[in-house]
Amino acid sequence: MTLLLSICVGVIFAVSIYLLLGKELKEVAMGVFLIGHGANLGILAMSGSPFMNVGGSIVPKGPPILGTGQQMVDPLPQALILTAIVIGFAVVAFLLTLLVATYRRTQELWIDDLAGDGKAMFLIDGAETKGKRAA
Amino acid sequence: MELTWIILLVVAPMFAGIATVCLRGHVMAQRIVGLASLTACVMMSLSWLVALQPSGIFVQQIGGWSAPYGISVIFDSLSGVLIVAANIVGLAAYIHSFGSIRPKTEKGWFHPLFHLLMMGVNYAFLTGDLFNLFVAFEIMLMASYALLCISATREQLAQTYKYVILNLIGSTIFVLGAGLMYGMMGTLNYADLARLVAESVSVGTPLPTGFFAVSVMLVCVFALKAAVFPLWFWLPDTYHTSPIAICALFSGLLTKVGIYAMCRLYPMIFAAPGVREMSDNWLPTVLAYGAGATMLLGILASLPLTNIRRILACVLVSHMGYLIFGVVLLTDASMSGTLYYMAQHMIVMTALFLCCGLIEIKAGTDDLSKIGGLCKGSPWLGTMFMIAAMSLVGLPPFSGFYGKVLILGEGIRIGGVTNWSLTAIGLLTGALTLLVMAKVWSLAFWSPSKSIRSSESYPSPKLLKAQTTPGYIAVGILVIASLAIGLGAGPTLRVTDGATANLSQPTSYVNAVFQDIVFPPDAAALLERVHGDHADADDSHAVELHEETTR
Repeated sequence: MTLLLSICVGVIFAVSIYLLLGKELKEVAMGVFLIGHGANLGILAMSGSPFMNVGGSIVPKGPPILGTGQQMVDPLPQALILTAIVIGFAVVAFLLTLLVATYRRTQELWIDDLAGDGKAMFLIDGAETKGKRAA
Repeated sequence: MELTWIILLVVAPMFAGIATVCLRGHVMAQRIVGLASLTACVMMSLSWLVALQPSGIFVQQIGGWSAPYGISVIFDSLSGVLIVAANIVGLAAYIHSFGSIRPKTEKGWFHPLFHLLMMGVNYAFLTGDLFNLFVAFEIMLMASYALLCISATREQLAQTYKYVILNLIGSTIFVLGAGLMYGMMGTLNYADLARLVAESVSVGTPLPTGFFAVSVMLVCVFALKAAVFPLWFWLPDTYHTSPIAICALFSGLLTKVGIYAMCRLYPMIFAAPGVREMSDNWLPTVLAYGAGATMLLGILASLPLTNIRRILACVLVSHMGYLIFGVVLLTDASMSGTLYYMAQHMIVMTALFLCCGLIEIKAGTDDLSKIGGLCKGSPWLGTMFMIAAMSLVGLPPFSGFYGKVLILGEGIRIGGVTNWSLTAIGLLTGALTLLVMAKVWSLAFWSPSKSIRSSESYPSPKLLKAQTTPGYIAVGILVIASLAIGLGAGPTLRVTDGATANLSQPTSYVNAVFQDIVFPPDAAALLERVHGDHADADDSHAVELHEETTR
C-alpha cells in the first residue's frame, strides 16, 4: 500500500514538474495544482499503512475514534492534509483569478509574451517606466 | 511562564483586517483602525519583551491543550525582538502609505491585505510547531501575492507570476517536509523535536534515516524565502513594480521570516550539537558557500544599476549573506550578532526604501541618471538617508556595526579556510556597500540638479507637502529606532544574548513549552522504538509514544 502510494507520488511529481516547466500559464497553474496533491499524498504515504497483520490475516485498522479499542490509523497526518488541501484550494483559486485578470488586461497567457520579449533580468535603463509609478 | 495574551499579537491584526474589509470605502476609518492595531502590537510586544528579561519565556497553549498535542504559541527573546522590529517596520510603512500610495489603490484592498500580512508575519514568529509555521507562511504569502499585483498593471502581473509560482513550489516542499518530519519523529513541535534529537544524540541511537534529507528540504524552503544565493533571482525583479510602501514592507519582513525560521530550527534541530559533527552532514558547508555567494554576487549585481529600488533590492539580498554566515557559525556570539543584525537590517532596509519613496515623490523617478540636487530642497531627507545608509554599511556609531563585528569577529576567531574567506568576503561586501550607498547619495542628493521635469509636471507645493509629510514621519520613526538600537547597543545585545542562550541550550525552551509534563525515565527506550525500524510502517509508533508519554 505504502509502495503504491509512493509510486503515485513520484508519478504526480514528475507530471507536475513537466507542467510547471511549460511556457503557457494555464499549464503552469495546472502543475501547481497537481504538485500540491502530490505533496498531500506523500504525507498520507508517510503516515503508515492503513492495514495491520493480525495472526496472519491482513485487516484494516480502525478509524481514529476514542473508545473503539481498536488499533487505529494515525489521525494527525490526515488533519495536516486537510489543512493543506484547504490552503492549496485557496491558492489555486487565487492563481486562476490572477490568470483571468492577466488575460483580461493583456490578452496574453504565454510567459514569454508577458515578460516582454525575453528581456534581461536586470533592466539597467528605465525600460520599465510604463504604468509602474505608484506615487 | 504562562501568558494567556500572546495570541493577541495575531488576533489584533486579524481583527484589523476584518474591520478594514467592513470599512471599505471609508479610508480615514480604515487608517485609524490600522494604526491602532499596529501601535497596540508594538506596545504589547515591547512591554512583554521587557518583562521577560533576562531569560524568561512566555508560553500560551491554545485552547488549554498541553504541549505536543495542542498548538503552543511561544514568545521568547528571539521572537520578541523580531516582532517588535517587524511591527515598527509595519507601522512606518503603513504611515508612509498614507502619502505615497495612489488613492485608487488604497480604496481597493490595500488595508485588509496589509493587516493580514502582519498577522501572518507575527504568527510565523510566535508559533511553536512546523505545521503552524507553514500555515503562517501561507497567510503571509497569500497577502503578499495580492499586494504585489494590487494595481494590476502589466509589469506587476508579470512579476507576480514569478513570485507566486516559486513560493507555491516552496510551500509544497515545506508541507511535504513537515509531513515527512512527522512520519520520522512522530511530532512537529519544535521543543519536542529538539528534545528527541538531543536524547537521540545523548543515548547514541542513530537519527532516523532521511532526517538529514528532510532537514535539507526545509532549509531549502527557508533559503528560498530568505533569498539566499541560488534561490535569490526572484527578489530584485519583484521589488520594483509595486507601490513603494508595499515594497518597503516586503523588504523588511518577508526575507527575514525565512532567516528567523532558520535561526530557530538550525541550532536546535538540524544542526543540534552532535548532529552537526556527523560526517555526512554537508549542510553547514553548503550554507556557508551560499552565504558567501549571496554576499558577493548581490553586491556586485547592484554596482551597475541606476534605479534606486533595484540597487536597494540587490543590497538587501547581499546582506542576507551576513545573516546566513552568522547562522552557519553557530556560536553564541554569532547567533546574537545575527539576531541583532536582522532586527537592524529590517529597520534600516525599510527606512532606505521609504526614503526612496520620498525621492520618487519629489523627483518623479528613482533613476539616478535623471535626479540630482535633492539636498538643496530637502536637507532632512538627505540626512535621514545618510544615517540609514551608514547604518547599513556598518560605520561604528550606527547600528549595523555591532552585528557585523560580532558575526565577522566570530568568523575570524573560529578560523579555517572557509570562515576566513567568508569573513574577507563580508568585509569586501561592507566596503562595496559603502561604495554603492555613496554613489546613490552623491548622485541623488549632492550632484547638481538636473531639470528633467517640465515645471508643470511638478506637484503643487501643497500636494507635495500632503504626500511627503507621512513619509517623513515614517522614515523618522525608523531612523530614530535605528539610532536607538545603535547607541543603546549594550542593552539590545543583552536581550539578543538571552535569546541566543535559549537556542544553544534548548533545555529551558523545552521545559517552558512542556510546562507540566514529566517525561518518564524510560523515555530513552521509547525513543529507541520510534527511531528503530520505521520501514515497517504498519503500526503508529507516534500515537503510542504520545499515549505512553502522558501516562
